[in-house]
Amino acid sequence: MAATFSVDPHRYVGRSEPFKRPKEFASFSYDKDHKFHLNDSSIKWYYPPHPLNQPLYIDLSKGFSSFVKHDDSQDEHLDSLLKTIAHHESETKSPIDANIVTWRGMMTKIMAAPFDDDGFEMNATSYRGTIFIEENHAFKVKRNAEQNANQSRRRGPIPPEVMQFWGYKFETLCTLPRPWGETSRDYIEGREDEIVNNNEQYCSVVRTGIGKTILCLGGEVDALWDSKPRQKGAPINWVELKTSAEIRSANDQFFFNKKLMKFWIQSFLLGVPKIIVGFRTRDGFLTKIEEMETMSIPNKMKSTPNAPWDGDVCINFAAGFLEWLRQTINDDGVWRIRRLPKSYEIEVFRIEEA
Amino acid sequence: MGIPAAFRWLSTKYPKIISPVVEDQPITMDDGTVIPVDCTRPNPNGEEFDNLYLDMNGIVHPCSHPEDRPAPKDEEEMMVAVFNYTDRVVNMVRPRKLLMIAVDGVAPRAKMNQQRSRRFRSARDAKEKEEDKKTLLKMLQKEKGSKMQVQPVEEVVQQAFDSNSITPGTPFMDILAASLRYWCAYKLNTDPAWAKMKVIISDATIPGEGEHKIMEFVRSQRNSPDHDPNTRHVIYGLDADLIMLGLATHEPHFRVLREDVFAQDSRPRLCKLCGQKGHDERNCRGEAKEKEGAQGEKDAALPLKPFIWLHVSIFREYLAVELDVPNLPFKFDLERAIDDWVFMCFFVGNDFLPHLPALEIRENGIDTLVAIWKDNLPHMGGYLTKDGHVDLDRAQLIMAGLAKQEDAIFRRRKETEDRREAGFKRRKLQQEQQNARRNGNGQNQDSPLNRKGRRQPPPESNGPPAGMHLMPVTSIPKPVGIVTHDMVMNRQGVEQANLANKSAASVLKSQIQGLMNKTPAAAEPAPAPEAVPSTEEPKEPKEATDPKSPPSALGKRKAEIMEAESAATPADSSGAETATDDEASADTVRLWEEGYADRYYEQKFKVDPKDIEFRHKVARAYVEGLAWVLMYYFQGCPSWEWFYPYHYAPFAADFVDLGKMTINFEKGRISRPFEQLMSVLPAASRHAIPEVFHDLMTKEDSEIIDFYPEEFDIDLNGKKMSWQGIALLPFIDMPRLLRAMETKTPLLSDEDRARNEPGKEVLLISGSHPVYDYIAKLYSKKQGEAKVPLDTKLSEGLAGEIEKIEGYVPHLELRYPLERQTMPNIDEDRSLSCHYEFPASSHTHKSMLLHGVKLPTPALDRSDIELLKGKGRNAGRGYGGV
Ligand SMILES: [Mg+2]
Repeated sequence: MAATFSVDPHRYVGRSEPFKRPKEFASFSYDKDHKFHLNDSSIKWYYPPHPLNQPLYIDLSKGFSSFVKHDDSQDEHLDSLLKTIAHHESETKSPIDANIVTWRGMMTKIMAAPFDDDGFEMNATSYRGTIFIEENHAFKVKRNAEQNANQSRRRGPIPPEVMQFWGYKFETLCTLPRPWGETSRDYIEGREDEIVNNNEQYCSVVRTGIGKTILCLGGEVDALWDSKPRQKGAPINWVELKTSAEIRSANDQFFFNKKLMKFWIQSFLLGVPKIIVGFRTRDGFLTKIEEMETMSIPNKMKSTPNAPWDGDVCINFAAGFLEWLRQTINDDGVWRIRRLPKSYEIEVFRIEEA
Repeated sequence: MGIPAAFRWLSTKYPKIISPVVEDQPITMDDGTVIPVDCTRPNPNGEEFDNLYLDMNGIVHPCSHPEDRPAPKDEEEMMVAVFNYTDRVVNMVRPRKLLMIAVDGVAPRAKMNQQRSRRFRSARDAKEKEEDKKTLLKMLQKEKGSKMQVQPVEEVVQQAFDSNSITPGTPFMDILAASLRYWCAYKLNTDPAWAKMKVIISDATIPGEGEHKIMEFVRSQRNSPDHDPNTRHVIYGLDADLIMLGLATHEPHFRVLREDVFAQDSRPRLCKLCGQKGHDERNCRGEAKEKEGAQGEKDAALPLKPFIWLHVSIFREYLAVELDVPNLPFKFDLERAIDDWVFMCFFVGNDFLPHLPALEIRENGIDTLVAIWKDNLPHMGGYLTKDGHVDLDRAQLIMAGLAKQEDAIFRRRKETEDRREAGFKRRKLQQEQQNARRNGNGQNQDSPLNRKGRRQPPPESNGPPAGMHLMPVTSIPKPVGIVTHDMVMNRQGVEQANLANKSAASVLKSQIQGLMNKTPAAAEPAPAPEAVPSTEEPKEPKEATDPKSPPSALGKRKAEIMEAESAATPADSSGAETATDDEASADTVRLWEEGYADRYYEQKFKVDPKDIEFRHKVARAYVEGLAWVLMYYFQGCPSWEWFYPYHYAPFAADFVDLGKMTINFEKGRISRPFEQLMSVLPAASRHAIPEVFHDLMTKEDSEIIDFYPEEFDIDLNGKKMSWQGIALLPFIDMPRLLRAMETKTPLLSDEDRARNEPGKEVLLISGSHPVYDYIAKLYSKKQGEAKVPLDTKLSEGLAGEIEKIEGYVPHLELRYPLERQTMPNIDEDRSLSCHYEFPASSHTHKSMLLHGVKLPTPALDRSDIELLKGKGRNAGRGYGGV
């Protein structure tokens, strides 16, 4: 029998659950071959193609043919996150105190559920009082294939792989492998021709809290605005890089506002204070770059008529759901967390006995 | 100093770059107590500033010879003057984050040549002035018959402070460094506005020119990812060139702060001989000082000389308009265009090379180059420079463009001069007739630099405005029989025309001989032609705007700057000191006549006019020089030993095949302070050098006696004023100098030896700065590493490395380092000091804006832009096809 938890946003209005500022306590890198390293080697620094907000016209499709794309057909589970946590525990000689350990992506799906129709499937298991959650890989593969098929039917000429590439291209255009001061002019000016490789990632592992639940989240961060502070746990000026179609109509604005929810949740969960949005034409030319303060996005939404989402609701819902989840998963078996597309509830049920 | 007259030219062409500084003054209450300015309050200029950089020589020099009071009696008075001036500047800016004080350290060799020339001239002028004074005194003594009392020599002639002591390695510079450290610590202890300010002192023991050490600091901070791209920088200094350096940082929020050298002020000028008011040195009678009294009190309330801002951000706006080239085959990049512009300014003048003969700032030489640049840019394939490196192929194109116009420029120059000369003569005649009619009822009119809110720059060319006196107005009626300094010094009428080329001393001698031969009774106290009795206060044109008075030894440097900038065109000043053709200075090169290049190389370089390869060699050395200067401005000194080995520049036409050249600089050896002193000081200033070296400068059998000529020629080189000429001093042969000094070095005292060692920057902070505890750890026993990086979050953005100062113990008594206790000791010094090093980076400066930068709201409106565009259409195109 599945336990269910409602995603109806109306139930979560008005409450105000506390949340803790995320603090990075560990990190790791994937190199250009997606090999795991327990260090900061793949960290990037932000520097846009032009430092002033001037009109641009850069082809985001350029270099698609040489794109070195990460092969995500393999199920990577929580391997890298667990390795990093284990290393941290051995260094500090004490276990982490999180109630839940997962990738930032899973928490994003959960937090977005009240305002999002997408379905998801995750597996969860409890170990030493901590619940570990990962994506159901088979579901993900299937859903991605469906989405790609849908997209190419709807949008026409541009293949979905190229549109995905635009986002990685934008990251390559806006970041440097060393701080600006240590990078040559030639590199900075030659980024349009740099090979795009999304194997390379820097992942931040943070401790944060929503409601009564302490979370340990791992997730990729795109770049640093300035430098990592010497003091551990101090706020880090990360930037999250996103691309989006130019806003030319009220309809465009509505869809962009909707999209902002995911931008916000992703950054909020890892404590990324700034989101940089690259606006592009329909055919993939970067025309404008805009900076947004993560913190200000939910407030801006509040003053938007017919706002498609509410940040407080997302937090309150997540707080409630996590508390409920911790009560529901009451043995060491494997559990499924599932939401069917457009469903009003999330189901949790055991798929494997302890 | 860069280009003389640059400031004047810039402020005329780009008027909005200048605005007045708003300054709060301390309030004096009825009971005499003074309420100091509270600098924790918002800046009255309506904007806050983060960092203030002081090019300290621009404070020390003026303090050693102030215009509005007698020169300081001794070093302590001098230091107090420096403190007061610095305090005033800091209070004007109220930096919220950082104050950097940079004193000139040993200079690159290329700069030493200029220093040498300046200091030798300065010594020569000082000697002349001394002779003038002695002559005056002798004359006064002969006047004993009059009622006037003659003062003992010492009281009338003060021992002049030798401004040549303001050179690294002198005991004076030691005292200055200690005094500055004391004063900053004192301020950190006592002034709440300093609580959050970091102070960096780079004294004379750290190599490099002050402004360039500041630039290195700014570049080093820019390379740090924690640098705030919207930092508001202010640099104080006298050199107009600072605005170029400001541009070169590519920090858009940058201002230059300086005294308004053109400000008309109502303060009476003091006599440079006796330091009293009411007359100047021309009319000095050497009388005793009046007793301090009501007059002395009034002095305190004298208005201070106003300061001005030079806004680099607004300058950038102008350049964005002016340098815009439409339809480029590559992306227009303002930062790169600005660098090219700065580079081209070097052709027109800099401290390290003589300027190209065809390029005069007053003839808009910069416009000429900009026009060539704009015409060539579309087919150059890119910019002329890149982050401080010259593209030599492209430089060749610019030179070729200039070469095409060179002959026409020289001819046009001659025509203009002739026309001016004629006009001047006509006006002078008119004026004399007028004066004769008015029977000398002349009045000194307002200077053309009259201020009404914003500066109204005087017209560029033209002779002196009607009514501007070319002779001193001596308005105090002179009783017959009393000799004044003016009677000795005043060069009259016809005589004047010939004076420029004789030394002032020799002229004086002949004048005095003339005077002395007459008996006192017969000696008509011939007043100057314009001198008229008047009941009004004497209103003398200031030295700055008085084209006739040659820069005195005191204040020479500043006077040079001001004259260069304020004295109008050379022709304007022709009244008093124009060289005429019949003198030795007659321009025998005659640039306006065919064959000038042959004559130039033959006469100036003493080289066979057929030796064309020699000209190319000179041009290559010159290009190397341009590359050196560019690097120096953008990346820091590329070679400490490089220098341009000629007194004269080549012609644009002599630059050929530059693209085939390769230029490499070796960093070379940085001179020690005593080596610099021996390289730049004349024997007359040897008191600033340890005694063991004196023989080398004075003894006839010294192996390097040829470096220290007592007499040397000044070649006017087509110019009119002696200060514009070229001092033909022999270049120092470094290996020979070092060999000679080596024999004496072992004889140095330990104290002297210490003064010859390089030092380190010092960082000072107050007890309440957030980084205090972090730095204090340096002095705790636990500290392991000697050098640690600053925590930029705690230091509020300042990057670099810190190290403890050996022998320094925090919290001890802060002792006033000078004798008379003009300022107090502090029982417990609650500030903290450590050594500081700029963040090490092997990476070079890039002329780019930083991310996150927010440009200030544009200051230019459409009419400013249209005006500039209108000027731009014709600018620099007066000499035929490009
Ligand atoms: Mg200087």
